[in-house]
Amino acid sequence: MRKTNKMIFISLLVSVGLALSVIESSIPLPIAMPGARLGLSNMVVLVTLVVFGFKDGIKVAMLKSTVLMLVTGSVSSFMYSISGAILSCILMFIAYRYFSKVFSLIGVSIIGAAAHNFAQVSVAVLMLSNPRIYSYLPFLLLVSLFSGYFVGLSSTYIVDNLKKNFRVLFSRQETI
Amino acid sequence: MTKGDKILILFIVMLSFFSFAYINRYAFSEQEKYISVQVDGEEIKKILYDEQLIGHTIPVQTEFGYNLIEIGDGQVRVIEADCPDKLDVKQGYISRIGETIVCLPNKMVIEIKGDSGEDDIDIMNY
Repeated sequence: MRKTNKMIFISLLVSVGLALSVIESSIPLPIAMPGARLGLSNMVVLVTLVVFGFKDGIKVAMLKSTVLMLVTGSVSSFMYSISGAILSCILMFIAYRYFSKVFSLIGVSIIGAAAHNFAQVSVAVLMLSNPRIYSYLPFLLLVSLFSGYFVGLSSTYIVDNLKKNFRVLFSRQETI
Repeated sequence: MTKGDKILILFIVMLSFFSFAYINRYAFSEQEKYISVQVDGEEIKKILYDEQLIGHTIPVQTEFGYNLIEIGDGQVRVIEADCPDKLDVKQGYISRIGETIVCLPNKMVIEIKGDSGEDDIDIMNY
């Protein structure tokens, strides 16, 4: 794939992730817990990781949280989101690359969601300098199971379709 | 969904439940507040709340007078005193950090103290 092509795809993915983040913030959750999210935009990161690889995955993750900060204007949530994005991206890549026989995409996505929550809570502990916030982590981990499962399931379908379509795209470009 | 996924889900569920149980047991069981009994400016007794202590009475007999303190569930009061006006008995229970029962004739102060000085802050928002 040519460089420009790839760049356009990545920026498209970033914008999809942004849109998902914005939409997600207007979906009410049945449980009132600060920090618990559906994590729809994690789907984009996971798909990028699988289709394009680690470098582009982490690029999309970081760009997404940076631009989201510019959209929403809250710097503190940027700190939470970028730390979560980086850690979850690294762990998801490791799980996908080296343990793909053990975990399907659902498992990878659950790992990512749990890592995301862990990083967020850790940053909160550092920012408020109060280690008691870690007591909140078990609840978040339980919630991350559900959101991670959902995200993993939906990205399985996305990846299947994308891989098919991209294969057509790649082969066409090679012939040109 | 592979077998590894199921094991992972089970692992995370167990992890969160166990850590939740652990936190409940060790981090929050010891209440941060304690009862401090002071006579003539000196702390003579320091009582940590305990479920076994509910309903327990503690006599405070000093050279200045006699008071009987009763410990309730997270609260404390004076039930007997030999001072003339018995203001400390009439005050009833105190339970919040910083509240005091003062018996001036006997120079006795019962104060509920907390280790964390940040209890005045209601909400922190970042």
